[in-house]
Amino acid sequence: MSVAQPLSRLLPRRRTVLRSLFALTVTAFTGGALAHVATTRADGAGRAAAGGFDEMYRGRHIQGRPVAGAGFDVRVDGRPLHLMRCAGGGYLTPVDHYSSYPTPLAAARGAVDELGSARLALGAHHGVRP
Amino acid sequence: MVYVRKNQRDLTAAERRKFVGAVLELKRSGRYDDFVRTHVRYYSADGDDDLRVAHMAPSFLPWHRQYLLEFERALRSVDPTVTVPYWDWTRDNTPAASLWGEDFMGGNGRRGDRQVTTGPFAYERGDWPITVGVTESPFLTRNFGNPANPIELPTARELARATAETVYDSAPWDSTSRTGFRNALEGWTREAGNGRWRNHNRVHRWVGGLMLGGASVNDPVFWLHHSFIDLVWSRWQRKNPEARYLPASPPPPGSAQYRRVVARHEPMPPFRATPDDVADHRHLYRYA
Repeated sequence: MSVAQPLSRLLPRRRTVLRSLFALTVTAFTGGALAHVATTRADGAGRAAAGGFDEMYRGRHIQGRPVAGAGFDVRVDGRPLHLMRCAGGGYLTPVDHYSSYPTPLAAARGAVDELGSARLALGAHHGVRP
Repeated sequence: MVYVRKNQRDLTAAERRKFVGAVLELKRSGRYDDFVRTHVRYYSADGDDDLRVAHMAPSFLPWHRQYLLEFERALRSVDPTVTVPYWDWTRDNTPAASLWGEDFMGGNGRRGDRQVTTGPFAYERGDWPITVGVTESPFLTRNFGNPANPIELPTARELARATAETVYDSAPWDSTSRTGFRNALEGWTREAGNGRWRNHNRVHRWVGGLMLGGASVNDPVFWLHHSFIDLVWSRWQRKNPEARYLPASPPPPGSAQYRRVVARHEPMPPFRATPDDVADHRHLYRYA
């Protein structure tokens, strides 16, 4: 979490540039620093995917992996959590539209915190069932 | 006919009942859920390249003004005496406020699933199923004050920091704008920790549950919150008559915000109205 934050701060605001830069950065760190962070968290009981995360958090299975051109694919108990990018480098989730989280992992954990016992809806548009 | 939006704490029992009744009728007819969908559809974040009209953008205030007007029009087609009351959260800032009464918004969510079990919008009553939602849960949820990471509602002092701004908005016209009334009121900051939620955003977080998510309109208190945001903007406009909506003209081709924000005379989808069209509301409604 703390390593990804400075990375996102380096990113320019335009998504076109941002996408390619982000992909490059993620590639450069594959199997490296980002993965290391995800595994060394006290509550990160799972293994880290390449450049992503895969852990149990408060009884929920959260996973995230970088996707070419589309930022991050994040899931909670296997269900997609649609992330939106913020100009400041952070992320919003459909569960919490009023806070920006510094990394996809922080966003996934934040969503679990706010979900309580609820399950994410499937087949959602913008993360919301139609 | 100019109508009046009142402080919710001053509504009579009959006015409370009529407001709730009109909201429930919109829900029953399916029109309420269309309003939920509109809010979901037009929530774009500012890290994306598309046009942002509703949030993280200068048109945050006029877009919601028009959105409230359309909702109010729908309410008044059910009951012409109803208007959208406002919730002054600097004053009615506890779960004990009459706002959360059994005959009005109902109370906090219960422990565990955070389900609202009191008032007209409690799931058991059968009038308020959540059909447009982030989760599978069919009931309204709230989580007052976020006990796991407690916060208070914004204070009058915090709100005053926003209203002390003298310019409407500033480049880069998004959640990172460091000066300007719009972002100070919307509430995006660069801070870490508890201070990072301000004003509008902080209220969404304090109510919690569905109010925090993309489908926040599912909580009817959404309208009372935004009615107050609109009042604050209205009073700021009167105090700063020279401070008009910005940007006045569209960001030019090649600039970072080209086609991503709405200028003073451009329409705010899905509405035809421009920020300039709704800058003055006094021929339509006033605040008591």
